[in-house]
Amino acid sequence: MGMRGTIVMNTGSIRVLLDPGRFFEERMQDEPGLKIPALIVLVYGLISAVAAALAVNMVIAILPAEAQAFGAIGVAFAVVGAVIMGFLAWIICAAVFYIFSMLFKGKGSFTRTLEFTSYGLLPQIFGGIIGTAFSYQVISNLTIPSVTNPEQIAEISESLAGIIAADPLTQIAGLLGILFVLWSANIWIFGMKYARNLSTRDAALTVGIPVALYIAYILITLVGWL
Amino acid sequence: MKLLHLTIISLICAVAVVAVPASAGPADITVTSSTLDPSVLMKGDTGTLTVEIKNNGAGSVTIKSARLFGNGVVALSDSYPSVGEIGAGNAKTFTFTVRADGGEGTFYPMFVLDFLDAGSLRYPVPVQVEDTPLSASVVGKPDAFSEGRTADITVRVGNPRPNAASGVQVIPQGTGFAVTPTGAFVGALASDGSATALFNLTPTAETDVTFQVVWRNGINTHSVDLALPVAFGEDKRQADPLITNVEVTPEAGGYRIVGDVTNAGLEPARSVLVTAGAPATPTDPFRVYVVGTLDPDDASPFEVTFRTDANVTEVPIAVEYRDSDGNRYTTTTMVEVAGGTAAAPLEERDGGIPLVGIIVAALVALGIAGAIYYSWRRK
Repeated sequence: MGMRGTIVMNTGSIRVLLDPGRFFEERMQDEPGLKIPALIVLVYGLISAVAAALAVNMVIAILPAEAQAFGAIGVAFAVVGAVIMGFLAWIICAAVFYIFSMLFKGKGSFTRTLEFTSYGLLPQIFGGIIGTAFSYQVISNLTIPSVTNPEQIAEISESLAGIIAADPLTQIAGLLGILFVLWSANIWIFGMKYARNLSTRDAALTVGIPVALYIAYILITLVGWL
Repeated sequence: MKLLHLTIISLICAVAVVAVPASAGPADITVTSSTLDPSVLMKGDTGTLTVEIKNNGAGSVTIKSARLFGNGVVALSDSYPSVGEIGAGNAKTFTFTVRADGGEGTFYPMFVLDFLDAGSLRYPVPVQVEDTPLSASVVGKPDAFSEGRTADITVRVGNPRPNAASGVQVIPQGTGFAVTPTGAFVGALASDGSATALFNLTPTAETDVTFQVVWRNGINTHSVDLALPVAFGEDKRQADPLITNVEVTPEAGGYRIVGDVTNAGLEPARSVLVTAGAPATPTDPFRVYVVGTLDPDDASPFEVTFRTDANVTEVPIAVEYRDSDGNRYTTTTMVEVAGGTAAAPLEERDGGIPLVGIIVAALVALGIAGAIYYSWRRK
């Protein structure tokens, strides 16, 4: 099953990315299954975990040598936290779509919504990889000073955050993130259309409103950094 | 008749014989004055002593010779070997070159006139010898000397001697400084008189400046030295620009430092410039910040931009200023950059890597747009 599942996921991945309408239409023939979706979310979580580990590593580099021992613990926490956050994001997205689709009298189980929402997270995996690469690029260009004074840690973290935010790469990465969210939204529209039995217009609104709010929030944050 | 003639001749002779003692003799010669030039000698000085005599008698007196001798003050010139007659009521002067060979005090070299008839006149001539030199003192100098800073030095020359000094000059001597004027001419200085000489001294190293006071006593040149040690120190009044309120902001490719520069001294700082020193490399837009004149207690904001290597943790911020004489001073303040308050970007990235990022972003955007377009087209 594992082997077959992987193959299905691989071919499914490509299809859902390029032809989500037909993909979801076919998936509706089967019973809702959460194994492959969970796998997708796990991969998504792990990609986020790598980015989180990079960030934690940077913060640890600031700490004095005696405190470096906590590094491994910090990284472990970051990885576990990122994976948990990935699953949380999945459930929250699905819940939001489920609730919004109720406004348009959507019909369909939450499990189905959960399943189809996860396919929409596939672009986030690619986005995560590119985003992590960008973050790595930004962080590796920084010289992290080591300090002995605990008061300076906050100060340095703040100035590091400022430098990272001011880096053009960070801003490009932010814009790219929005593009990947748009791609996800596109998949989600098809997903909700089938999972909640909505018209294309209602599905677009179900997905479009929360995604638009989210993108607006990201943009405000980015502009705030500028 | 013969007897009469004889008697008359005898009488005439007798009258003649009686008349000769009544005419003139050595007792009628007096020394009326003696002058010494210079009026007071110093040890070893040479001067001229002039003695004037007068014949107060009714007839002339023949003088064989005139000479001067004595201890302490000796005559250098020859004596007058044959002076000759000096008529009634006439005066005559004798001049001798003398040298003060002894110590200080009043000496009485003996002036001797030898008469042809008999006897001589001995007259002790008073000659004063005093070795007190001119006095020199520094009456004006700055609290402290600084390298390259022009200092006004005032030297006062006083004449405590009983006679006037002539040709007084003050000449600074030594190395390690420049001075204007290179010598001051005071000229004649009366007894108990004083004069000042002003010098602009610019030391280039710690040194001793010797002010040599040269004067002439008659034809004799004398000098006395006045030493002025030049040691560099802190001028209590000098401008003292301080940097405060420093804020370090990292920015692409470097840092921006803003802060205030305040003159905490008592004199104005002119042409104040603020810049970052090595190992920092100043960059545009604020390679140098020109503050201008900062009066005492004045403050002015400044802003400098620079970049450094990644391992640099401290950067010197140099404040350059001039005093009223145009002397240049520099003070530096170390400002922590990477080590304390900010992380340094490793290298300047102007456009290079972001260009790659922009290309990646554009490709991704195209891909996503294609995917979305494709998904709707297939429907």
